[in-house]
Amino acid sequence: MSFNNLDYMPPSRIERLYSVWYRHFKVYTKNIFSNGFPPFMEPLIFLAGMGLGLGGYIAEVDNMSYIEYLGIGLPLSSAMFTAAFECTFGTFIRLEFSKTYDGMLTSPLSIEDLFIGEIIWAGTKGAFYSFAVLIVLLACDVIPVSVSVIFIPVIGFIVGVMFAPLSLIFMSFVKTINSLNFFITGLITPMFMFSGIIFPVTNLPKWIQYIIELFPLVHAVNLERALCSNNYSSRLIWDLLYCIIFTLIATYISIRRIRKRLMK
Amino acid sequence: MGYLITVKNVRKTYNIGSTKRFLAVDDLSFDVDKASCFGFLGPNGAGKTTMMKMIYSRLERDIEPASMINVFGFDPMKDPLKIKFASGVVPQEDNLDEEINVFQNLLIYSKFYGMHRRDAEKRIDELLDFMELSEKRKADVRALSGGMKRRLVMARALLHEPRLLILDEPTTGLDPQVRHTIWKKLRDLKEKGLTILLTTHYMDEAYQLCDNIIIMDKGKKIIEGSPKVLLKNNMERYVLELIKVEPSILLKLKIDNTIIREDNFHEPPHLYSNDFNALREVADNFDDGEHYLRQTNLEDLFMKLTGKSLNEFQ
Repeated sequence: MSFNNLDYMPPSRIERLYSVWYRHFKVYTKNIFSNGFPPFMEPLIFLAGMGLGLGGYIAEVDNMSYIEYLGIGLPLSSAMFTAAFECTFGTFIRLEFSKTYDGMLTSPLSIEDLFIGEIIWAGTKGAFYSFAVLIVLLACDVIPVSVSVIFIPVIGFIVGVMFAPLSLIFMSFVKTINSLNFFITGLITPMFMFSGIIFPVTNLPKWIQYIIELFPLVHAVNLERALCSNNYSSRLIWDLLYCIIFTLIATYISIRRIRKRLMK
Repeated sequence: MGYLITVKNVRKTYNIGSTKRFLAVDDLSFDVDKASCFGFLGPNGAGKTTMMKMIYSRLERDIEPASMINVFGFDPMKDPLKIKFASGVVPQEDNLDEEINVFQNLLIYSKFYGMHRRDAEKRIDELLDFMELSEKRKADVRALSGGMKRRLVMARALLHEPRLLILDEPTTGLDPQVRHTIWKKLRDLKEKGLTILLTTHYMDEAYQLCDNIIIMDKGKKIIEGSPKVLLKNNMERYVLELIKVEPSILLKLKIDNTIIREDNFHEPPHLYSNDFNALREVADNFDDGEHYLRQTNLEDLFMKLTGKSLNEFQ
């Protein structure tokens, strides 16, 4: 019996990444109601509480009503949270409890395929979550309708692919699932507070602003506020570059870390 | 020529913490024939799973000049995807996606192998039929019994018609009926030309399925060969197990040590011989419930070779 070379031709990189993405998509959409409902519900609750309640005490922020100011930021915080949870708790469960990766790695997929596919999936979820929030914002007339807002899910995708590898890096050090709370409470929640979503960071002391400049989320928020106000400046090039470079470096480190953990 | 897998002088060291090291596989060499069934036997921690994982690229062997692994002509450290593309693996733990149903579990894996939807559906139906799971096509994985899950994982490993099937303890924890069903399936597959690699602690499983086996202990090969030949060349044919009998009683009996071998490892004592009647005579000194006269098996061989019972590790 002899085999020709065609018998050993695994699928191409694109097909492999797509197959990983498809796996996550299938499992996520299996429970479409329980998985698809929260992204629409959360912003409603948040806008009602913070926007209507707290907003009554605040006249204007950045020349707009507080509810509008807050609303513009919410698609991205939503994208950040979903990517962060997906690539901490979600990944940890697949890694340690359901042994999903052990199974997938028996098929012709490499560790890179698995985790680049997963990061792209987290980006997709980020896009979907920001889209859901956008629908709520437009339906409740929180932000004005304009052509440029259709790009908000694109920034949601960028937020997803930035936070997925960051979360994976943290996850790779963790031995018990409860330790993941440190990441959410210690890094993600502060990022939500200090990235120009709830209040403008420009009035904070300079040294705090320098620290905030290191946060990934603030750059995505800058891009999004520019889109919503149609007010573009050259600074946005730096914001976009930051997002791209951050994603590439974090992805590289996360895969190295996870390889080390999986291959031992 | 003719070998599907060649393994030479392979070692695997695990680092435990920063200072401690553990040698899981120690200088292992063996060949696997095409369309044969090859078994790794030994207690937990013998290095069986580690050796198999190095074959399908899940773990990397220690890098040493003399060490090599060749699977279908490829090195698992250089061409992992090619090897995985032509192999199917049934891991020790069932790692099915619990949230989705039986059919979807298989469909997702068909994508990993780059199969087209139509081919995949046809193949899935064939395999569900072969594994006697057709009625469970739309069932949730959560609702399956342990034996069904195991068969589903086997179906998943066979989706892309691999040349090599790797099974890590295929029947551990399953009831005797399911074990026999799985053995039958594996024999059918071997008949069709599939090469099978498996680990097991069950000596009867190895005896039933394997053309060749390696008995391992602490990462080392103890003995290699066909189970039937190994038994014939290394073991007496019969064994008398004396249950609930004090070893001191044996001293009072007149046992012919030229025909019967007494084994000192055991508590209670075991007597081995090729002469059935000689053992029968000894057995007649005891009540029915106090002895068990039977053919020897690989477990007895393992015991003879390592001086210990398999169960000490389990």
